[in-house]
Amino acid sequence: MFDLVEPALFAILTIAIVAAGVGVVLANRITTSALLMAFTFLNVAGMFVLLGAETIAMFQVLIYVGAITVLILYGVMFTPQSPRPYGLFFQGQKFWAALLVVPIGIVVAIVGSLGFHDSATVAAKGGDLVPLATSVFRDFAFPFEVASVLLLAAMVGAIVLVKRDEE
Amino acid sequence: MAVPLGAFIAVSAVLFFIGTAGVLVRRNAVVILMSVELMLNATNLALVAFSRRYSSIDERGSVFVVFIFVVAAAEVAVGLAIVLSAYRNKPTVDVDEIRQMRG
Repeated sequence: MFDLVEPALFAILTIAIVAAGVGVVLANRITTSALLMAFTFLNVAGMFVLLGAETIAMFQVLIYVGAITVLILYGVMFTPQSPRPYGLFFQGQKFWAALLVVPIGIVVAIVGSLGFHDSATVAAKGGDLVPLATSVFRDFAFPFEVASVLLLAAMVGAIVLVKRDEE
Repeated sequence: MAVPLGAFIAVSAVLFFIGTAGVLVRRNAVVILMSVELMLNATNLALVAFSRRYSSIDERGSVFVVFIFVVAAAEVAVGLAIVLSAYRNKPTVDVDEIRQMRG
């Protein structure tokens, strides 16, 4: 009976992710888009839990559902709603679009029919926090420092861009 | 019964496609940023899925995801700053209307 729990959760999360993702693109109100985006992120966090990556799921909730959604909502707040939400796209490019889509579809179909070789899911030994932290702070210590510099540069850049000239 | 890896990759591909469609179809700069975030999230899902199902030794794939979190945070901060300063120059967030730098 418990064999069906995981596929059922996966199905629910998949439906939620796809529906909310389509909603982000199609919603007329930008605020609706932003909140649906947060809902999508929350469901992706559920996917991470299903995969056994609890730490990543926690980061996902903290950074995406928390910080990035708040930032986007601030952006929505400071900008007006666009009177025309959709651009006129794919008007005269049907031929080239079809020409590009067909080979990509063939490749995807081949890869999908080959399938992936599953190895057993990693057994949980105290969760994934310890191996993740070991990797980040031992093997990837230098990229970690570079990432901190990137964040600092982004912060300074954002402040400089938004700051008004005081004259 | 574990969910096969291909199913997670399929969800990731669909989410990435939705994000791409959002970037191409919507003309609002803020919605374009949201769609880019969806694409980054799809990438994270694929990376975590492969990492959990293939590597029994370490967490290399999850480390990539952590760095993508950092880059996504930096990207959305700078992106919103650019949108806001462009809005200050010309009161619109329609990316077809913002063409001061077009040659």
